[in-house]
Amino acid sequence: MHPATRRKLLLALVPLFVAVVLLQARIDPFVAELHKGSRTPFAGLTTEFILGPLLGMQQAVAGLLWVRADEFFHEGDYDAILPMVRMVTWLDPHNLDVYITGAWHLAYNFTDSSERSDRRYIPAAQKLLEEGDANNPGVYDIAFELGWENTDKIKDYQRAYHWYRICAYERKGADERGELTKPVPMFVWHQLAHSLVRLGRIDESIEVWRKALAMSNELVRQDPKDFSKRNVRDSERHNLELTLKRKFSRYTHEVDWSIDGKRTKSIDPYTGQPTPADAYLFLSEDDIRQKREQFTNVGEPVPPMSVGSPRPPAVVPKWETAFDVRPTFVEDKVLDLKGQFNVGDGARVTIRLHDENWRPPQLKAFTFDIDQSVTLMQDQHSVRQGTWGRKIDMSKDPKMYSFKSERYFLVFEFDPRGTSPFIQDRFGWSGEGMTDRKYLYVESDKNPPNRILRKVYRITRAQVFRRAPITEADVFPAAEYARLQKQASPPPPAQ
Amino acid sequence: MVTLAIAKQTLEDMLRRKILLILLIVAVAMIALGPSVGFLSPRESSAVLRSLGLAVILLAGLLITVLTGIQVIPTEIERRTIYTVLSKPVQRYEFVLGKFLGGLFTVFVMVASMGIVFLGVLRYQEGRFAPEMAQGVMMTFFQMTLLGALAIFFSTFATPVVNFFLSFGLFIVGNLSSVTESLLQNKNVATRLVATLVHYAIPNFGNFNIQNKLIHPQVVIKNMNVFIMQNIAYAIIYAAVLLILAIIVFDRREV
Repeated sequence: MHPATRRKLLLALVPLFVAVVLLQARIDPFVAELHKGSRTPFAGLTTEFILGPLLGMQQAVAGLLWVRADEFFHEGDYDAILPMVRMVTWLDPHNLDVYITGAWHLAYNFTDSSERSDRRYIPAAQKLLEEGDANNPGVYDIAFELGWENTDKIKDYQRAYHWYRICAYERKGADERGELTKPVPMFVWHQLAHSLVRLGRIDESIEVWRKALAMSNELVRQDPKDFSKRNVRDSERHNLELTLKRKFSRYTHEVDWSIDGKRTKSIDPYTGQPTPADAYLFLSEDDIRQKREQFTNVGEPVPPMSVGSPRPPAVVPKWETAFDVRPTFVEDKVLDLKGQFNVGDGARVTIRLHDENWRPPQLKAFTFDIDQSVTLMQDQHSVRQGTWGRKIDMSKDPKMYSFKSERYFLVFEFDPRGTSPFIQDRFGWSGEGMTDRKYLYVESDKNPPNRILRKVYRITRAQVFRRAPITEADVFPAAEYARLQKQASPPPPAQ
Repeated sequence: MVTLAIAKQTLEDMLRRKILLILLIVAVAMIALGPSVGFLSPRESSAVLRSLGLAVILLAGLLITVLTGIQVIPTEIERRTIYTVLSKPVQRYEFVLGKFLGGLFTVFVMVASMGIVFLGVLRYQEGRFAPEMAQGVMMTFFQMTLLGALAIFFSTFATPVVNFFLSFGLFIVGNLSSVTESLLQNKNVATRLVATLVHYAIPNFGNFNIQNKLIHPQVVIKNMNVFIMQNIAYAIIYAAVLLILAIIVFDRREV
């Protein structure tokens, strides 16, 4: 090669290399965007899996790890799944199902020998979902799961509403190609409406049902032959009508739909009035006698009632629930409960036992290392014939119930917002028709206020191990208990 | 024309090599077996199938490129056939470029074959054609273009064994571009300097890993086409740099 040619080639290298550097600087922001949320390629992997990420195949290794995790799940080896969930989410932070399934494992599948969930994992499950949502901010799936977990498992309806609202108003659904171009599925709106009902915000829930119905009507208009869209539209119409009926019957004038069904087949979706309009009138002296008995039973003065006059709403007069419970440790760590509750069969009482100083932890980052010294048990019992209760054996699961603390709270609760509609037909959505001489507690910080039943005992370790009985002297003020619990649990943003 | 003639001869020679054909057959078989992981949920199955398919193409492409790149020039020297070639009116730069293009055509044939099978499997499994996955195959090809140029450059002065480890090692380091990029913000000056040198001087093979976007379409990249075009330009320009260096080194080498 001629020296001049060599010189020219060497000179040509300079601008070419500058172009390479400039291009790399332009590419870097794209790469950062593409790998947002990923950890280092090593991500705590064992040697058998480490070569893949080094060669740029993180997603493939993540996929293989997840296949392995699925095998562990079917073998019942849940403990082995957790580290794999962590690795997979580090390698591939856009795999939505891993976050959702991993959080479900944490919240639901770690149980004691009586199938009670180990609720100490719930903050970790929530944090994992929050991390996944932050890594996939345009997608509704993980936010929806946060809403569902708060509804179904945690019963924190305010937080559930918070997440469903984000899903419905700020997120997108995937089209056939998986790209985020479509509105979220209608079930997101349905859950938003349900969550508002659980908060006692009935009028807002009705508005969401109307909005969903209008959207579905438009979808059906565009594609009239699609059975599933028609089905969704019909269920929205049904739920809107049902909510209007319940609102009218519970708070305006009671309508006995089972008797009056023949006369009252529908309700005006705009006014919420039954059709025909006289469906809520007393039809006979027998109707009046039944209502009069309700007033007499709770010792309230009977208002003037006559055939043809409108019935008072279902939540009037208030129903005395006579809620109570007698807890006894019949063996070490074996709790026997005998409770009473003047309510229809099927209402469920929540039982919670935890260390006196335990508060729902606020994790700054996801970890599945839980504090094994904490004792936290939660269960629910159904009411049958006005009574409830059974034995809760915590002696077989020392890892979950170590009882290392000196003092514990033993809490019994009934929340009308979480109960079945047929119980709410008597009590109202927020317990407006419910009263109790001893254990009524009004959550006045909620809007609208919620009337719950709560009996709290503060007991000692000695009582858990039967060195002393539990007596009524151990009953702790419900309001003070609520104040202590709120200290570490800030509410979600108000909306 | 001379360059293309050498390239054609190299392609024919490479396609006769059993090792490359075996690699291709194994890779195609692995891609075809992808749907066997379909016991997961539909979304997970799709993600696993796509990620595994792209990974197999990448891995097979990597081996094919390195095995081709490290052999094309040293084999000619070992067999002494290079004397016959260079005694003809063939410039050394034409020889280097012809060998590079021949290797590149080989990689193209192999990667394209795997890509077609992969798209076919996806079509069968998901019930629709997934043209976006062709982007992933294309990016793998350009990644291999850069790697091939690197291997050709090393082959002008290193033995095939040394070349194998050099190319493979730099491919791994170049795949850590997201790590080196994050180290550019490090507070330690020495770390920052080393990271800058590594990040800008070593070919960034990690740039071409767009699987995140292809496997999870919900991952939003503001301007994907610009990103892809920049990467293609990066591969071509960097390959040109390496080929110029290869030509300069090979020109001075005694064969």
